[in-house]
Amino acid sequence: MIAALLDFGAAFQAFLTPAGLFHVAWSTLLGIFVGSLPGLTATMGVALLTTLTYTFERDTAILVLICMYVGAIYGGSRSAILLNIPGTPASAATSLDGYPLAMRGQAGYAMTLATAGSVLGTIVGIVLLVLIAPPLAEIALNFGSFEFFWLALFGIVISGRLTGNTSPLRGYIAGVLGLMVAMVGSDGIHAHVRFNFGISDLNGGIGLIPAMVGAFGFAEVLTVMWRKKARLVKDLTLSDRWLPKLEDLWRFKFMIGRSGIIGTLVGIIPGVGEDIGAWASYAAAKRASASPEEYGRGSQEGLTAAETGNSAVVPGALIPALTLAVPGSAPAAVLIAALFIHGVRPGPMIMIEQPQFIYSVAAMLLLATIAIAVYGLSLTRIFILVLRIPREFLMPVIFALCVIGPYALTQRVFDIWVMVGFGLVGFVLRQMNYPMAPLVLGIILGDLLDKSLRRGLTLSDGDILPFFTRPYSAAFALVILLTIIAGVSPVRRVVHSVFDRAATGGNRRQDR
Amino acid sequence: MRLNSAFADLMTAAALFAIGAGMAYGGYVMDRLEVRHIHPASFPGLVPIGLGVTLMFCSVLLASGTRRMHRPEKEAEQVSWLNFLVTAGWSCLYALVMVGRMPFAAATALYLAAFAIWFIRADKAANPPLRSTVMVALFSVLVALSIAAIFQYGFLVRLP
Repeated sequence: MIAALLDFGAAFQAFLTPAGLFHVAWSTLLGIFVGSLPGLTATMGVALLTTLTYTFERDTAILVLICMYVGAIYGGSRSAILLNIPGTPASAATSLDGYPLAMRGQAGYAMTLATAGSVLGTIVGIVLLVLIAPPLAEIALNFGSFEFFWLALFGIVISGRLTGNTSPLRGYIAGVLGLMVAMVGSDGIHAHVRFNFGISDLNGGIGLIPAMVGAFGFAEVLTVMWRKKARLVKDLTLSDRWLPKLEDLWRFKFMIGRSGIIGTLVGIIPGVGEDIGAWASYAAAKRASASPEEYGRGSQEGLTAAETGNSAVVPGALIPALTLAVPGSAPAAVLIAALFIHGVRPGPMIMIEQPQFIYSVAAMLLLATIAIAVYGLSLTRIFILVLRIPREFLMPVIFALCVIGPYALTQRVFDIWVMVGFGLVGFVLRQMNYPMAPLVLGIILGDLLDKSLRRGLTLSDGDILPFFTRPYSAAFALVILLTIIAGVSPVRRVVHSVFDRAATGGNRRQDR
Repeated sequence: MRLNSAFADLMTAAALFAIGAGMAYGGYVMDRLEVRHIHPASFPGLVPIGLGVTLMFCSVLLASGTRRMHRPEKEAEQVSWLNFLVTAGWSCLYALVMVGRMPFAAATALYLAAFAIWFIRADKAANPPLRSTVMVALFSVLVALSIAAIFQYGFLVRLP
């Protein structure tokens, strides 16, 4: 424990240089701007910035990307509060209580509470990252091909199950499509080229960054221009309080701790992401609240819970990303790609090859958190100006960056074509309620799933039993099976009726 | 036009079934690499076959559940398909045709200026005044030159 703290302190100190602080300052501010503009997500910001930082030195590049990630997730609360449109999907729960507060003339205090929630949520997540990541990496050292196959499948199934808005089936389909995309190009064992359709540019496969920039950048440009313009809240008052009341934070202490832990745990689940973290924290806070009827009508507690939850997901999502190379969220998937670009190999070996790196990431997260606290409490008025930037100026600039960014990585015009293709398909899939997170996860986990299954079968001489008999494998297989069964409508109905009956029985006993 | 309708789901299910069948077949006929004496269970088409079959199964479930599927009534979302078509068409023309055939900065300046002027005009239902048009053109040229300069001289990228 002391050694971990010392390592963390040393990593933190290493960034306290003028250059380090400068990078924290600009990238977090840029992240907040990206997050606050409706339609621009953290994933798009991190993907675009990956293309802009590939010439940077390793630690600087990762620092910039993490600051962008933290800033964008936090920035989403601005437009959620002022426009009733979440800047990022992560802030959807924030708008439920943030906008009513703004309508009551408490926009300034709502943003202050959102800042406090985000800061405290990220800190809870950082503590859990430092505590959980090293032992998890140690456990993962016992994983072989059999376990990694199930882990990849687990990521797709759980992400599809939890992010499919209307039905898990759409989430699963998105995941399978992502895995199929990963099958294009040379296979990871025999280097046999698959599904290249005679196009030599496909021999190396479809790049994650062009695909992500398309699915999250171009698709968002199309969505923003497709929708009618958003309007800022009328009679915007910012003369109210801009520092959080300590008594409020003290009153919410248990809720903040609980939301932080829920957010971090949701972040650890592969591919689930910040929006689910926010909703789960919000629902838990509402259940435990003394005044649940205020939720959705401008509850300060609800707003703080949502922001604490979504921000805590960020460090949580980095736990599996660093220790298993399985992303906890879509922006974390881009971060994994960026880590590979900069020569860091995430996975179980990270604590052996680069044991300091996890503490460096924790220090980067803490610096980004300090930056959002400073900006959030001091630059409220500037953020409102950002929301007034006309979309007809901003969107084409973003698209121009979407074009040149992926091209800059490989200097292949083909990657621009990939970006455009994924943008158009991503737009259509999104409008049809297919979640993007499983698709992204499929692209990044496809290679792991393919190699692990075939390696496992080779090791067992074609026998599939070890996939079910090794302890970790059996546990993964059981969880996957239960997850799929729980998504089947008749089973879901039976489970709901059992819970409803139990709840009704409990209420009757209380009445007596 | 509604992309979230039973008919759209049926069409999607058909397309997904075809993709799944194509991938499963592609995996099945893929080279088994016997000449390299690889383990038969590790042939490269194994996972594509599994994925193809899974997608076909999912598409059947999607098609069979289209009528029963609960579709949450979205708030009447205000959308403009004309805006979408202009954005998609002009952006694709820029990315797929102009970039690579014109100097990058010139293509970008033209793209930015035309995009902004079109939507300002559509928003106000009238041509923007000359002063605004000149300002937009100036903004577009400045931004395009900045992007080109950052990538060419900052990141040493040979522009398309």
